[in-house]
Amino acid sequence: MVKRRATRVGEWIIERLIQLSGMLGIILVVLIFLFLLQNSLPIFKERTLGELVFGQRWSPTHGDGQFGMLPLLLGSLYVTVGALVIAVPLALAASVFVAEIAPRRMREFLKPAIELLAAIPSVVFGFLGLLVVGPWIDAHVEIIKVGQFAALGSVMLAFMALPTIVSICEDAFHNVPREIFNSSLALGATRWQTITRALMPAARSGIIAAILLGLGRAIGETMTVLMVTGNAQVIPKGLLGFLKPIRTMTATIAAEMGEAAYGSTHFHTLFTIGLFLFIITFAINTIADVIVRRGEKDIA
Amino acid sequence: MKTTKIGLILLLPALLSATVALVGCPPAPPSNDTGMIEPPDDQSGGATSTISQIGSTTVLPIADAWQQAFTAAHPDIQINVAGGGSGTGIKALTDGTTDIANASRAMKDEEIEQAQEKGVEPVEHVIAYDGIAAVVNTGVGVDSLSVEQLSDIFSGEVTNWSEIGGADVEIIVIGRDSASGTYESWKEMVIQMDGEDKERDYTPEALKEQSNEGVRATVAKTEGAVGYVGLGYIDESVKVIAISPLGGGEAVVPTVESVKTGDYPISRELYMYTAGEPTGAVATYFEWGMGDEGQKLVEEASFVPVK
Repeated sequence: MVKRRATRVGEWIIERLIQLSGMLGIILVVLIFLFLLQNSLPIFKERTLGELVFGQRWSPTHGDGQFGMLPLLLGSLYVTVGALVIAVPLALAASVFVAEIAPRRMREFLKPAIELLAAIPSVVFGFLGLLVVGPWIDAHVEIIKVGQFAALGSVMLAFMALPTIVSICEDAFHNVPREIFNSSLALGATRWQTITRALMPAARSGIIAAILLGLGRAIGETMTVLMVTGNAQVIPKGLLGFLKPIRTMTATIAAEMGEAAYGSTHFHTLFTIGLFLFIITFAINTIADVIVRRGEKDIA
Repeated sequence: MKTTKIGLILLLPALLSATVALVGCPPAPPSNDTGMIEPPDDQSGGATSTISQIGSTTVLPIADAWQQAFTAAHPDIQINVAGGGSGTGIKALTDGTTDIANASRAMKDEEIEQAQEKGVEPVEHVIAYDGIAAVVNTGVGVDSLSVEQLSDIFSGEVTNWSEIGGADVEIIVIGRDSASGTYESWKEMVIQMDGEDKERDYTPEALKEQSNEGVRATVAKTEGAVGYVGLGYIDESVKVIAISPLGGGEAVVPTVESVKTGDYPISRELYMYTAGEPTGAVATYFEWGMGDEGQKLVEEASFVPVK
């Protein structure tokens, strides 16, 4: 009797512990959000939201401090969009190959190999971009003046987002019921037609979610863009903007946090950038999650 | 269910990577006895005290050299040195988590106020001087410039070397990021011409490098580039510009000698801050650092001794 009660108490404790671990992620996210909010709110006593978001000049230590984030927001947008333009076609092709075309033994080797890309520290990508890819492009493309520019950040980020996108796309293809694939082939469609017209539409929600998660990965990346994009706080103009130095939101925080006086306007503004990033990535991930759930319902 | 889990698993790293930059500057580890360091006990020989020191990366070479030589001479005192930036060091001093804050700029008024609110009275120690050199890519065809011309270049008024007697090459401005003490010094002394034109600022087109080495490397490989580095970072990969002072005068090449005599116009003080007048081990450390041995190491690290 005593023994049974002890077991029950033990089980109760273990259950609670597991429950707590499960909730830890949510608790952490909420705490981080509150922390960001607490440290960024004081800025709105001094500046309006419009001044911050649409201000065209970022020069935090000039005069009273100019905290226009428009160059940074556009910088992040350029680098991230560029990364997706490069990464998405590559990732789609790679995941189709891994999921449907490669022989089983090759697939068993390829998938972990692509996922291994995610294990490479971002600073290594930064070095690669700064010392190898950047100078190479600089030497071969006349229009580029400096070996640090927006598109270089996009190229490096594309490779970093690749494993995320490939991995989830591949899962999505795998989750498509075999019947769809087989019936399409049985109706006389070629393999290409089957993949593009039967498989991809069926896996659509998974693909979109994969792209969104890759987007979240790219926009939050810090070290690599800090190292390869040159960090000039200009407002990029047109397509030519991709070939010029640019500065992202994450790089700004990383570069300036160290010497921003604690509690100063500059300090709070950097936290506000962090808050914006948090909201953006949170929104992207939530949308991705909703799409995945809807897709599951469709297939079921 | 499976994909939902994947969504959640990926949610966290994405959010964390966005926020990691904000917490990327960990505070200094607290010293054994924060602020209150026992004087070294010479009789027992077993007692040790620890000095912790954190801050500017510009001051780091001096702090490292001092730490090695000083602890060799005083085995009973242990010194922990860390970088992180001037602001990080000053914050650590304010929070009482370090004994010494290294800084390549003077403390700002708001930082002094904050320290005083927390009961810390920061004491400034000028430990060395540092000259900042203007360096250019070897192909620009210019050997010397005035402070006024440099101001025009860095504020974006002049955009081609041919406008100031050089080759017909577009000027690419390379600077440090605004967290750097060097960024501030260069802005005040050169771009604003010693405060003459407070409105002037860096051109937004200026690239921002994270270190002296980064500036030098980019200037070396970029046609038409101009940047600035501390004296200790000059090498043959870039060309050093001789600078003539405000209001005219002979152009001077930056060397330890010309900074010491004051002939070279662009130099600044490097600092270590303590909470109150140093006592005990910290006092011993400063006495040694400001003495012949410490100041000789300053010169060996390509900075300019105070004496």
